[in-house]
Order: sequence, then C-alpha cells, then structure tokens
Amino acid sequence: MQNIDGQIPVKKLRDLLNPLLVPLLAIFTAMVAGGIIIAIVGGNPFAAYWGLVQGSFGSAAALSETAVWATPYIFAGLAVAVAFKGGLFNIGAEGQLAFGAVMAALIGYALPGWLHIDLPAYIHIPLTVGLGMLAGAIWAAIPGALKAYTGGHEVINTIMMNYIALNITSFLLNGPMRDPDPLNLSARTPEIAASARIPTIFPDLRVHWGFVLALLVAVIIWWLLWKTTMGFEIRTVGANPDAAKYAGINVKRTIVITMAISGALAGLAGAIEVTALNYRHELGFSVGYGFDSIAIALLGKTNPFGVVLAAILFGAMRNGGTRMQFMTQIPVDIISVIQGLILLFVAADAIIRFIYRIRVREERVVLTRGWGG
Amino acid sequence: MDWRRFAIIALVIVIMFGTVVVVGISQNSPLVIITSMLATTIAVATPLTLGALSGIYCERSGVVNIGIEGMMLGAAFFGWLASIYMNTVFHQVPMLSLLTGVFVAVLTGGLFALLHAVLSITFKVDQIIGGTVINILATGITGFLNRQMFFGSGSVFGGTVPHSPGVLPSIHIPLLADIPVFGRIFQQQPITLSALALVVITHFVLFHTRWGLRTRAVGEHPRAADTVGINVIRMRYLNVIIGGFMAGLGGAYFTLESISSFEPMMTNGRGFIALAAMIFGNWTPFGAWAAALVFGAAQALQINLQFFRELIPPSLAILQNSYVVGLAPYILTMLILTGLIGKTIAPAADGKPYEK
Amino acid sequence: MKKLYLVIAVLVMAAMLVPACTPTAPDCTKPEVFCVGLVTDVGKVDDKSFNQTAWEGVQQAKTDGVANWVQYIETTDAKDYDKNIATFADAGYDEIVTVGFNLTESTYTAAKKYTSIMFVGIDQFLSADATHPEWPLANLVSISYNEDQSGFLVGALASMMSASHKIGAVCGTDAVPPVWRYGEGYRAGAAYEDAKNGTTTEVSVVYHSDVGFDKTFTDPTWGADTANSMIDKGADAIFGCGGKTGNGAVDAAAQRSVYAIGVDTDQYFTLPEADAWLLTSAMKPETAPVAAVIKLTKDGTFPTGGIYMGPSGYAPYHDQASKVSATIDTEMKAILAGLLDGSIKTNVPPVKPAQ
Repeated sequence: MQNIDGQIPVKKLRDLLNPLLVPLLAIFTAMVAGGIIIAIVGGNPFAAYWGLVQGSFGSAAALSETAVWATPYIFAGLAVAVAFKGGLFNIGAEGQLAFGAVMAALIGYALPGWLHIDLPAYIHIPLTVGLGMLAGAIWAAIPGALKAYTGGHEVINTIMMNYIALNITSFLLNGPMRDPDPLNLSARTPEIAASARIPTIFPDLRVHWGFVLALLVAVIIWWLLWKTTMGFEIRTVGANPDAAKYAGINVKRTIVITMAISGALAGLAGAIEVTALNYRHELGFSVGYGFDSIAIALLGKTNPFGVVLAAILFGAMRNGGTRMQFMTQIPVDIISVIQGLILLFVAADAIIRFIYRIRVREERVVLTRGWGG
Repeated sequence: MDWRRFAIIALVIVIMFGTVVVVGISQNSPLVIITSMLATTIAVATPLTLGALSGIYCERSGVVNIGIEGMMLGAAFFGWLASIYMNTVFHQVPMLSLLTGVFVAVLTGGLFALLHAVLSITFKVDQIIGGTVINILATGITGFLNRQMFFGSGSVFGGTVPHSPGVLPSIHIPLLADIPVFGRIFQQQPITLSALALVVITHFVLFHTRWGLRTRAVGEHPRAADTVGINVIRMRYLNVIIGGFMAGLGGAYFTLESISSFEPMMTNGRGFIALAAMIFGNWTPFGAWAAALVFGAAQALQINLQFFRELIPPSLAILQNSYVVGLAPYILTMLILTGLIGKTIAPAADGKPYEK
Repeated sequence: MKKLYLVIAVLVMAAMLVPACTPTAPDCTKPEVFCVGLVTDVGKVDDKSFNQTAWEGVQQAKTDGVANWVQYIETTDAKDYDKNIATFADAGYDEIVTVGFNLTESTYTAAKKYTSIMFVGIDQFLSADATHPEWPLANLVSISYNEDQSGFLVGALASMMSASHKIGAVCGTDAVPPVWRYGEGYRAGAAYEDAKNGTTTEVSVVYHSDVGFDKTFTDPTWGADTANSMIDKGADAIFGCGGKTGNGAVDAAAQRSVYAIGVDTDQYFTLPEADAWLLTSAMKPETAPVAAVIKLTKDGTFPTGGIYMGPSGYAPYHDQASKVSATIDTEMKAILAGLLDGSIKTNVPPVKPAQ
C-alpha cells in the first residue's frame, strides 16, 4: 500500500537501506545480464563498463556532462511522477517539454525587442523560465480539464497533444520563429539574449545552475506532495477518487491542478535546456525525453528523491555511453537494453528477491487505476 | 457501440474524402481519387486495427497493455529476420520464407505478451510498468541486434544487405477485383484481409461465445467470475497472449507486407495511436476499426493535399501547409472523444491485479 | 545471504569466461599514427544513408593504408555534438569528420579551438560573415553537393520514361535543404524535358514534414503508403529521397511494378528488394570524396578555400537498361554534361525561400 503520510521510519540503518537494496541489486543484475550480452557478441564487458564509468564519472568534465544530461531527466521524471501520484498517466511530457522550450526561446530572443529595453538578467531569466513553465502547464492542463469535465481519457489526449505540439513546433520553427540569419539552414530559433541565459557553475564546464534548480525543485515537489493540503488532495484523488469526493475534495479541480503541475515541470525541462544549455530551440533536440521520463518516474517509484537518483543514473548511462562506444565500439543500443532490464527487475522485484533470497516486505507502488476512474 | 458514434465517424471520413475530391477534381476523376484515398486509408489502418485488437483482448480481460508499440516493433524485426534466414541461409522459396516470417512475428508478439502477463498477472507489477518495460526492451534489443547482424564486416551477414524474400503477394478477390479502377480496393494483401476478418471474429468471440463472456466477466468483476468457477488467472494469461499474437501480426505488416526491410524504430508511435483507437472505439472491435479508419483517412487527406498542392485555391491556402493539415486528425480525435460522442467506459477491473 | 554471494560469483565468472577480443586503439597522440574520427548527426552509422556512406569513406581510408586507425561516435542528442568532437580531439586524433549540416556551428567552433586538427564537414555551408569572420579556416573543409543537379537528372529521366506522364517524389522534410534541393531539382528536371519535348508531366513532390524531426527520415511505412497513393493516381515513376522514408517509397514502387528511383548511393546495392524496377539513383557519393580528402590531408595538401565539391550524377540503369532507349540515354549524358559545364541551370536556390 501507498505510504500515505510519507514518514520515513528511521528505526535502524537496515530499514533505511532496505528500500535501496532491491533497486541496487536490480541495477547490478541488469548490468551483469548486459555484460553477458556484450560478451556473447564478442565485446569485453569490463572494458565496456570501464568506459561507461569513465565517461560518466571519471573526470570533472564527465561529471559535468552527466549533470547536464540528468537535468532534463529530473524535471521530466518529476513531471510524470507527480501525475502518477494524482492517479494520472501523463504520456505527453515530450509535447509539454517542446512547448516550454519554444516559449522560453521566444521570450528569450524576442522580449527585449518588443519592449525596446535591455532587460536585466534577474528579470529576464525568471520571466523566460516562468513563461516556459506556464506554456507546459497550459499544454498539460488542457487534457487535465478534458479528463475532469468531459471524461476524455488523458492517455489519448496527451498522445494527441504530443503530435499537435510537434506539428505546431515544426510550423513555428520553419516559419514565424525561424532564425532569419540568411546563413541559417536549420529549423531553429535565433539565439536568446545574453540576459536570458542561465550561467554555468564553473567556468570551463557546461554544468549549469539549472541542475541545482532541478535538485531544489525535487525538494519542493516532495514538500508540496507531503506537507501541503494540495499535496494531500492530489495523493488522495490518486489513491481513491471516490473517497476524495466524500472527504469534500474538489476532484475535478485537483485533476486539472495535478496535470498543470506535471506540465509545468515538463515545460521547465524544456525551458532550462534552452536558457542554460542550447540558448535556442532547434527541431529534434528533445528526442526521447518523454519516453525516458516515464521509465525514470517508475524506477524512482514516483518518489521525488527516487526520481533524482534514477535521473542521474539514466543521465550517466546516456552520457557515458559515448565514451563506451568510443573505447569499445559496442553500439549504444546496449544502453537501452540495460535500462529496460533495470526497469524490469525493479518492477518485478519478486525476480530479484527470488534470485538473491531476500525476504523484505516492501511497499508496492500503485500507480494507476486503469483507464476507468 | 452506438450508431451515433459510427455516423459521426462516417461523416468525418466523408468530409475528408470530399475535400480532396473537390480540390483534385480538375486533375483526377472522383472515382480515382476516392479509390486511391480508400486504398491509403485501409493500408494505414491495418497495423492500427491489429494493435487495437491486441489491446482489446488484453484489456477486456482486465490487463492494461501500453506495450503494443514494443510488441509490434519486436515482431516486425524477428519476423523479418526469420524470413531473411529462410530465404538466404536455408534457401527456401520466398512464399515459404514469408509465411515463416509471419509465424515467427506472431510468436514474437506472443512471447512479449507472455512477459507482460508474467509481470502483471503473476508478479502483480503495475501494468503500465510492464508495458513500458516491453517498449524499452524492444527498442534496445531490435536496435542492438540489427546492428550486430547487418552492419560492418564483423557482423553476421558481413555487412552486406541480404536479399529479402519481398512482400506477401496481393490476393485478388474474384469478380470484385476486376472492376475497373475501384477493383484496386479488392486486391489486398493477406495481413490486411486478416485484420478485417479478425475484427469480425473478435467481435463474435467477445460477445457471442462462452469464452467471450468469461473474458468480459474476468475484466469486469473478477471476484464474481472466480466465485462461479472461472479461472481468472488462466483467462487473463490466455487473453494477453492472444493479444500478443494480434500485435505480432500487426508487426509482421511492417516488414513482410508493407515493405520488405526493417529499420530501427520503424513503428514510429503507431502502437500508441492503436491504443488511442482502442479507447476511441470504446473497447469494441468494430469501434476500434472505425477509429483506425479515421486515422487512415486523415493520413490519406494529408498525403493527397500535398499531392494536389498546386490546385488548392488561394482562399484555402492554409491547407497547403503540411503542418497545419497534419494537426487535423489529432484535434479531431480529441474533439470526437470529448464532446460529440460521450464517455468511453473501460472494463471495470482493467489495470487491477487480481488478488484471491 | 550465502546463496547471494554464490549467485554473484557465478554471474561474474560467466562474464569473465568469455574472451576479450576487442582491438585496442593505438596511441593517436603519436605523430606517426594517423587517426581519423567520425561524428554522426543524430543517427546511426548503419542508417543505409549519409552517415553510413561517410563512415564507409573513412573506413576506405584505413583499407587504403592512409589512416592507421579509424573510429566513430554516434550522436544520440544534439547537445552532445561538441562533446563528441572533443572526445576525438582530446584523444589526439589527426582528422575529424562530422556528418550533416546540423554540426556546422560545432565543427567551426572546434576547428578554431583545435588548430592542429583537420576538420571535414559534410553538407555544411559557411561563408565569411559577422558570425564566422575567420572563414575559411585553414583546417576546415566542407564537402558539399549540388543535390538539385542530381534531382534534375533523375527528374528528366523519369519524365522521359513515364508513359502516363505522371511522376512522383516521396521525400523527407523540406526543412532540410539538401532534401528540398533534391525534390525541387526533380521538378525542374521534368519541366526541362517537358519544355523540350512539348509534353506535360504532372509532378507531385510530397514531403514528410508532419511529424517530429527525428521521424521524417525513419518512416518507411509512410513512404510506402505515399508512393502507393501516387501510383493509384497513375504515377509510373517514383523518386524516393530522404533516408528510410524514401527507401520505403522505392520499395513500394518496385512492388507495384513501376519505375523506382533511389537516392544518395546506387541503391541497386543497398535496396536489393527493389532491383527489378530500380531505374536509377540520384547520386550524392560520399565515400570517395571523404576518402579523397583524408588522403589529401595525409599528403599535406589539405584543400583550401573551405569547400570541396562532391560530384553530381545518376547511377547506371542496371536491370532497366534494355528499356532506356539510345535517344534517352544520349539526352541524359547531354544533360549531365550541360549541368557540369553550366550551360544547363536547375534554377533551384540553395535554400527553400521563406514563405
């Protein structure tokens, strides 16, 4: 059952480590299974994993790149996790992310021109990021409202909204928002103004304050979900909408709010990629975040801190995969296989407990209640 | 499935076809345009229909399946691989190679479904996770194996592209296929025809047989079903695996019927559109098929508006923009789903593991 | 817990039993070891398209004994372009090939940073301007193509071969300039032959612009559906241009027994399924130019001026040769000669004009 009050019982160190034991063993088992696959196709699994570790944690630059990769994963993973907590399946993080990015790019490059003034960074950055968030929130609130007030299922609607977002983005980046530089051949926006750029933390590394913001947002989401009335309402609606209704919670409003928060987080992922890393939005830069974010939310068992750890793991694997391929020529597709296996073993922890003969009573996370409710 | 829903779907399809007929009439006769659009609609709808049928079997018995995309992708790859092996390694005739490919594809779908069943029925893992696992694993495994098999001198086929046995040949329906122009609609390949047959069969099985009654009982009220002696676990396992066979056949469409090669990620989200079609069609075979036809018609509309781009009058210039036209089916789906047709009702126990 | 350790031990041993046989890289920092690295655009080296042919060019350099060691990195996300180039640069590679116009900026920036490393950009267009004041750089060359010319050639051939005077092209997105040039060149080629022969050929060019950028080139099923739709309306020659999406169209055309026209390489060898009806392919050969530029680098005669033009052309007719009359063949040769000496112009601008 879901741990409604969210208290972490700190009785013994063992109790604290227990929730981590199965995921860690799952990761280990998936890596071993991946290693066997690598060996079967004639690669050296130790060289491959050494490359993976080196590429993700082996140097300051590697650590920095891992953080860069993890940042959008944290935001998008949190987005999906919050929706799960509210009993909703947000399969549309990809579209919300794209909308957040487009909006952030627009505010980033065009706002000073519209206002005919140079904005100071302390106004321009929050405005850019905030409106990016808002765009994502609106984009997700629409399927939320449709779910609440017409019963239209959010899974179809968020999938549809993904395709709509992709088309609108393609239209904008090929038309009105296209970089007018005559030498530009890509479907991309102009670069955002210097005043809209989130700085990096260290001079020569790409890791930026957006990563710190991501960690901060994870704490805020935890606080929101477990320490506020709104969070209680979201979790109650997620656990049992009928009970929530009898308890006097406005279920419809809560569904819309949950989706808006979820979309805001996904929009934030896009806005941060634009303001802190790419300085523009370009078609195709958010390939696959929507899908990976579902896996991250699941791996983190929809707990904000679990999501952060899962996002860093996924970020490290995606980042280190390059070095692994460079050193051993093993196709990066193996990373997807290992990620799938990790998810498999975490999900079916009975397999892990069977292999390692662990007897731990673990809470089972109930994410969705099917399509009906 | 109420008639109002079918009427609206039919109206939408007629409007889509009509738009193209009006635009293209100066270049092609209405009969040619309608035939061509109908052919595209049916082709696009085939994998969507099979994917949606896969979802219907699973969900009618109470198991949510968002892994249709992965099942189709995996089936497309392994079915194609089997046909290649039969053709180039074991030197069998193309027809036998292709049929083996279809068999292996269906089996692959079934195996992925078995994994889903073990996870979600036996281990009672959240069913959304089970589906996500299948989607991620299928992407990784097919991409990885495709590379190991076909790329570079160290690969199984030494880096050359092996000669595939082609695609499944069309079946000419006697008399009907001989009608001038429109006869094209009656020359279809076997998987397309099977999809239509399976819609009818699934409808019959679900609503007119003991098996169907039991399946629905297990999906609506498993405890009551258990009380009257139905083996809930067994029914769910079998239905999920049958659903896997459907997705497997849908996967075979990509590499053995539509074109004759495999590309990583080639299902391109069609498994999710199939899921949407299933819900759109209110978990009924005919409803899902009608929904799949709407997606097919929308794609036919888009292709044809680009085809007749120069003929679009300036007052309708917006239609020349492929991005704008591309929006139509998705907005339409949302509108139809939310406003015009009323609520969709899922099987009551869908997504809930059964605990004795 | 005993069992736990046992299982771990068994698994680890199982992993170790398998021999390690990956060839180890030589030390590329040594001056006598000539190493070439290739960074793909978002995509894979087995895409049967531009990433793959470029990689084959790099491998060619190794086979020819020009390069001692070659390696590739596949980009999984656009934000990794710089990192992937730097991975090669920091490992002491002597020459780095980057594929696709999306890497234009990253390649230019890297070339300025690593002045001792030679850079080759494929499909990258630069000229001296405010953003790139130092262009052309001494260590950067772009291999470019006139895709419109190759498209023009196959468009002309398609219109001459078509009995129904209806021909079609199924392309990836028009947002990518080389693809757009192919499609519009095809149109222009058909129009050129029409004007010459007094015929009227209906040319339809359909771009797959309705999906995400990552999918426009990887949707063979859409390509097949679109080609079939054209064939249903009477088209009897289909040009598939744009990665796997185009391949699907070529495949479908061949299955329906109409003329199929491939792209980039001679697809007679990469799409054997379509051989029976493959008329020709619009050529954009990468393998030879890439290998050639690497050889020039090794010889110390790295091309100057920033641009190395790759050739335009069309592939042999192969199985269709008997159907191409001597008149048509002569005309094709004349067009190719005319395009190369400038007497025939495609009038296709390098980039799609803004709407």
